[in-house]
Amino acid sequence: MPARGQQDCRAAAATALARVIAGGEALDTPLAEALAEVDTRDQGLLQQLCYGCLRHYHRLDGIISGFLDKPLKRRDTDIHALLLIGLHQLLDLRIPDHAAISSSVEACRRLGKPWATRLVNGVLRRCLRESASLESGLSDSQRHSHPVWLLEELQKSWPQHWQQLVTANNQHPPMCLRCNSQRTGREAYLARLRETDIEAEPCALAATGIRLAQAADVTTLPGFTDGDVSIQDEAAQLAAMLLDAQPGERILDACAAPGGKACHVIESQPALAELVAMDSDTARLARVEDNLARLQLPAALVCGDAGAPPAELEDASFDRILVDAPCSGSGVIRRHPDIKLLRRREDIAGLAKQQLRILGGLWPLLKPGGRLLYVTCSVLPAENADLVAHFLDTQLDASSLPIDADWGVASGVGRQLLSSADGCDGLYYALLEKQA
Amino acid sequence: MALLNILEFPDPRLRTVAEPVTVFDGALSQLIDDMFETMYEAPGIGLAATQVDVHKRLIVIDVSEARDEPLVFINPQVEVLDAALDEYDEGCLSVPGFYETVQRPQHVRVTAQDRNGESFVMEPQGLLAVCIQHEIDHLDGKLFVDYLSSLKRTRIRKKLEKQHRLRA
Repeated sequence: MPARGQQDCRAAAATALARVIAGGEALDTPLAEALAEVDTRDQGLLQQLCYGCLRHYHRLDGIISGFLDKPLKRRDTDIHALLLIGLHQLLDLRIPDHAAISSSVEACRRLGKPWATRLVNGVLRRCLRESASLESGLSDSQRHSHPVWLLEELQKSWPQHWQQLVTANNQHPPMCLRCNSQRTGREAYLARLRETDIEAEPCALAATGIRLAQAADVTTLPGFTDGDVSIQDEAAQLAAMLLDAQPGERILDACAAPGGKACHVIESQPALAELVAMDSDTARLARVEDNLARLQLPAALVCGDAGAPPAELEDASFDRILVDAPCSGSGVIRRHPDIKLLRRREDIAGLAKQQLRILGGLWPLLKPGGRLLYVTCSVLPAENADLVAHFLDTQLDASSLPIDADWGVASGVGRQLLSSADGCDGLYYALLEKQA
Repeated sequence: MALLNILEFPDPRLRTVAEPVTVFDGALSQLIDDMFETMYEAPGIGLAATQVDVHKRLIVIDVSEARDEPLVFINPQVEVLDAALDEYDEGCLSVPGFYETVQRPQHVRVTAQDRNGESFVMEPQGLLAVCIQHEIDHLDGKLFVDYLSSLKRTRIRKKLEKQHRLRA
């Protein structure tokens, strides 16, 4: 019998990618299943292949498609993925050419599709021979590895910045930590990292933020399990600062999962009367609970729809509300490159409708004089400034407070962080106040 | 040490019923070592002598992750202890690239001899039980595809025949 315990790394990556490309699944689950199948030594490469092929999907796919006489059948999307994997290794990774090709050819057999070995071998060798001219025939969308609609939206919305955004979206994101100010100061933690030979520097914008020179396994971070630090991008760490919760206040985090921002709010203001963390998904709410438990922080958990909050949340009962609204994720594409394949132009209107519904549903819960911080991880004005402006037009007791900051760009209402090669994620913040 | 050629379905030699091993000598030991080398290189977890065109009742197996628990079964006999069936997606080095679900008794007792001719008894479970039964089938000229519908078996045979033609 053949050995099966450990799946071949490329074959496992191709299977996971096919589920994203043809099945429209988010990468998380297929990747987790693939990671469980391969040798632990191959897990790093498996992640690199999956993220890399999605990050460069449109470019790799543009090149490969030019070499196929006819597209592969839908059920052979794994072979198509294997071609992308082979080409990604040839063009972008430091893997020797012969190894990149032979491993991809071998993976065909592992996938039970030995008929494809000649095809994969032929296409990849041709890519190698014609490497100088591979990208000459590509469209803008393919060259920038973005879907046409998204590239158009970025160019239209950010005529000065779209190239910066596109470049950042195609890069590997930095790993950032948030120091738990109840347990450790940033300088003290940086010193502990130095002792463990983990290279790091303080973040420029967030006072609690640390940026690692390269990604590290959380178990190697000193005090991680004790709650000294959490993983959170610098941009997301601005939420607690902008919310600026005061002692004795009652706070609602209305779309809390996985709980990073809620934890940060309590860490920065432990003298709250209460923080209520709400999410519509019980499984995701369980992750909020896990995070609170690790950091040993108190919060009330509520399962409910932010657009139609449950009756237990009374009107005019919160001093501050944080809304990290469901969005396109167009500002965190470097962390979730599957967004490029999964999102469609027509999704945006539906998301905006949901965001508006959430703002409308939560507004009555706010006390007069209270503040609501609206956050998305999107760079599309339809989900951000345009949407909040629309809400302000209809909600007469709502006004926008200026965000006085040296980061991001003022974009009508609110402030937009634009992801850049060395910078933080592309989050949007708007701070609204209810008339007293 | 030498790598041996593995016969592929539908090679008629895979249908040969193997003869019992009667002589435990250096040549047998050499064959066992070559079979392990061939199996590990494939990579495989089990190989029957039939698959390398030697029609003696001999199988080699290693189902460990670290590939460091080689087992030799000579003249093996299987007794079913519990008729309850277990399913496993089986593949075969003689049917490369195909995996299909096969049901087999999950609890068996195996009596066999080691490379020196000493008898031993084992009650394997899980993957090892599946693998031993799969390999013993080879010694009786049987393949896992025989458990499948004739439609599936024909499809596999045609695909492999086509590959063999292309390779030739």
